[in-house]
Formats: sequence, C-alpha cells, structure tokens
Amino acid sequence: MTDRSVTHATFVIERVYDASPARVFKAFSDPAARNRWFVKADNWPIAEYTFDFRVGGRETGRFSPDGTMMVYNETIYQDIVPDNRMIFAYSMMIGDKRISSSLATVELKPEGTKTRLFYTEQGAFLDGLDKVADREKGCRDLYEQLALELERSAAIA
Amino acid sequence: MTQHSVTHATFTIVRHYDASPDRVFAAWAQKDRKARWYASHAGWRSQDFTLDFRIGGREYLSIAAPDGVVHTFDGQYQDIVPNERIIYSYDMHLDRTRISVSLTTVELKADGTGTKLIFTEQDAFLDGHDTASQRETGTRSLLDSLAAFLATGDPD
Repeated sequence: MTDRSVTHATFVIERVYDASPARVFKAFSDPAARNRWFVKADNWPIAEYTFDFRVGGRETGRFSPDGTMMVYNETIYQDIVPDNRMIFAYSMMIGDKRISSSLATVELKPEGTKTRLFYTEQGAFLDGLDKVADREKGCRDLYEQLALELERSAAIA
Repeated sequence: MTQHSVTHATFTIVRHYDASPDRVFAAWAQKDRKARWYASHAGWRSQDFTLDFRIGGREYLSIAAPDGVVHTFDGQYQDIVPNERIIYSYDMHLDRTRISVSLTTVELKADGTGTKLIFTEQDAFLDGHDTASQRETGTRSLLDSLAAFLATGDPD
C-alpha cells in the first residue's frame, strides 16, 4: 500500500470511581490488578506480556483474538506521579501493520472519598486502519473493567 | 505542596521545501545531517546528541541555553515509513524538571519538485511549565533551520 494517511484526534473519557486515588493508582501499577482488568479484559489468549511500570519502562503485549490475527501493543511510560497521574505513549499493530501511535494521559483527582479519572488520548491513526470512535469505545470498555476491578478489590479488603 | 496539572494541545505547521522527500527524510534520519539543523543553535552549547533512527530506537539531545538552563529532549521512534512519515514520542526537561510529553508526526508528500512537510504535535504540558504557543514558536524556528540546511546542499 502506498496511500499513507494520518488522522489526528483527541478524545477524553471521564469516570468517577468509588475508591481513593491511591486505590485507583494501585490498579494501574500493581501487576496482579492490572492483569485482571487490563491484560485479560477481552479474554483474548495472550502470547506474550511484559510490564515494567516506571518512567522509561515498557509494557508490551501480544494477543490473538482468534488464534491467527496477532495484535501488538507497545507502551512506554513517560511520566508517573504516584496517586496523581500517568502519561504513556503507545503504538498498536495488527499483524505487520501499525494502526496507531498515541499519547495517553491518566489524571486522578480526589472528589470526597471518590476519584474522578480523566483519560485523554491524543492519537495518530494510521492509513485508515483504525477508527477514532472504535478506539474510544475500546477505552470506555476498559474503564468499565477498571470499575469492576475496584469493586472486587473493595469486597476483598 | 506541588500543584499538578496537565494542559493538552495540538498544533500543526505546514511547510514547503525545495528538496525531494528523500533529501528531507535524510535530514531527519541521519545523525550527521540532523545535528546540523536540529542540534546546534547560535549561542547554545550542545552537550550530548544520540540518534538511533529505527522503530523503538531512542533520540537524546541535551543542550544548554545561553542562560545556562539545560534543555533535554528524550524521544522514541514509534513509526517510520522511509521518505513518507516519522512518528516519535518525547519528553522535554528543563534542568531536572519534566515540562512536557509529546507525540510528533512528520508527514512528507511530494509537492512539484519539492516536498510538503506537515508537522503535527500533540502535547501534554505539565504543571504550567510550558505552553503550546511557545512550543509552536520554537518548532517554527527549527523548521526554518531545516530550510536553511536544505538550501546549503548535502554534506558528504
């Protein structure tokens, strides 16, 4: 394919969680928690997963929804302020085609005993291989998974 | 107590260069070329410049302004399509303070005998340390330096 294109877009997801910023942050930083709501969110078989949560650290995943198509996610953590914010850059590939590169900001703001989370994704969607609306929906689903994770961990605590 | 804040912004700059897409691409891709227009400015003291131009590779530039403040660019290539597209993420530090995290897309399109360059930057400015208008002004001046470099012809 020679017809290259880039669609730049920004979307914001806002969600209130019945948990402190520290508990919400832990759901991102703790490998076991992250595995439950993020890595296994879609119940896709995982071929490979690595997670190094620190500035400059990487998170990589290789998944296959159907056993043939491979989906890759490569993340680098750019900024981490504990209990407050995380900024990471990530690219997605399907097979050998890169479909997007994005900058993502997660901000956690205390609201009484709760936390208001703002997820801002600034994306470059490549060669018509992904749609902004699809990405936003995928992210909204993930942040619902996070709500379930926080309910589960509250029930255990 | 430190007040944390993030300001998101996007800006786009479009330029035409009287040089082919492969020459413009080479000015970004080859360290000796990029050093001449990107890593050296009159009155600034370049301290360190490394460029590993491949997907997943890192670029690092540390340069001291005339006032002594050290500006550090630490970037990572996200996508490279030779002669067509470069995408990188980077953060900027002033001395030890991280002031921004950004995603930059450089698109090159043949435009007559020259090249149309579309520079799009998506920024997260941190804790009030920088603004989109300052970043855009700095970027325009860099893209002027690229024009001057391309006008002088290629180094061997």
